[in-house]
Amino acid sequence: MYVIMVYDVEEKRVNKVLKIGRKYLTWVQNSVLEGEITEARLERLKSELKRCISEEKDSVIFYIMRTTKYSERQILGVEKGGKGNFL
Amino acid sequence: MSESIYAFSHGILKRKQNTLFFESQDGSQRYLPVEGVRDIHFFGEVTLNKEVLEFLSQKSVLLHFYNHYGYYVGSFYPREHYNSGCLILRQAEHYLEPEKRLVLARQFVRGALQNIQAVLKYYHRRGFALASAIGQMESFLCGLEEQDTPDALMAVEGNAWDIYYQSFDVILNDQDFQMEKRTKRPPENQLNSLISFGNSLLYAAVLSEIYKTHLDPRIGFLHATNFRRFSLNLDVAEIFKPVIVSRVIFALVNKKAISSREFDERLGGLYLNERGRKVFVEKFEEKMKSTVNYKRIGRKVSYRRLIRLELYKIEKHLLGEEEYQPLLAEW
Repeated sequence: MYVIMVYDVEEKRVNKVLKIGRKYLTWVQNSVLEGEITEARLERLKSELKRCISEEKDSVIFYIMRTTKYSERQILGVEKGGKGNFL
Repeated sequence: MSESIYAFSHGILKRKQNTLFFESQDGSQRYLPVEGVRDIHFFGEVTLNKEVLEFLSQKSVLLHFYNHYGYYVGSFYPREHYNSGCLILRQAEHYLEPEKRLVLARQFVRGALQNIQAVLKYYHRRGFALASAIGQMESFLCGLEEQDTPDALMAVEGNAWDIYYQSFDVILNDQDFQMEKRTKRPPENQLNSLISFGNSLLYAAVLSEIYKTHLDPRIGFLHATNFRRFSLNLDVAEIFKPVIVSRVIFALVNKKAISSREFDERLGGLYLNERGRKVFVEKFEEKMKSTVNYKRIGRKVSYRRLIRLELYKIEKHLLGEEEYQPLLAEW
């Protein structure tokens, strides 16, 4: 499935959350990551995040799509993060 | 849902923030989500250190390297993570006992011939004059039982490939892409160069799948096991060459996605240049991801998955649970 992860966390934890997210998803913008992921890996990602964030103050949202068939990605301005499997 | 990464630019691969980081020579930087990477294919130059190899080993990611001309040079094959002494013994047993080895070797050749025939029939239905080639495949298939050494089987297979490659001229009918005859090291024309490159990619892809099973890639059955290289992936690839590699080539040539501009002449042969390789790899990856209906399990599976399923069938055969029957591409 395809997941978009957005987070709003206290400044001191921004880097930690980004670091965890990057292991599973591709960074696309400040506080936004996205990518193809399996259910099991998403659970792993969530549990890693839970250990690091403060559940009272921080928030992380996952938008989950079973496929990207019905969605479209439109960009204004620059595309910041690289995607795709060609380097 | 792991991805294969193809690196064409030159750069450095690092372990950074507990994930992979690729910094290319032109300054662009990319983090690769390590949890979602199956393998990385390097076509350009890459610098890496032991730290990253340790990390890749821990995460079971394979690296495949290709040289300047696009030839496969080798892999970083991390310590086996699926260890099964039992299966290795069975695999060795099936190699050492001539009758058992012959059974498997024959099945690999049968698989290749059947799929060649399926491709030929597909184009025959669409009005290409391939009846004689199909007939010859049939007679090769009938004669398989009589061959009683792996070498004899290899010879039959070689003849079959010759006839199959000859029929490329009928299917493609393109002035720029003429087969004439199969040449390797170096490939002497464009079509030969496409076949060689496609086969290299397939060998590496099969190796990546073998890594995810208990099988040992060093012990093949049709291809002799020797001191130098992996051979099981060559065996299994035979079955998939007509299904994957040739179809990618037909698609590229027929849709004019690739032309003589994508080739360079070097060392007395013709090789795909970087742009050509990119086009090829993109199409190849698209093919590997595309799905077909697989009757055995009654749902759609990707071609990459199909390779893995084929390996599981071989495991079952080795363990004596179910006799191995090669995949027949009926779609």
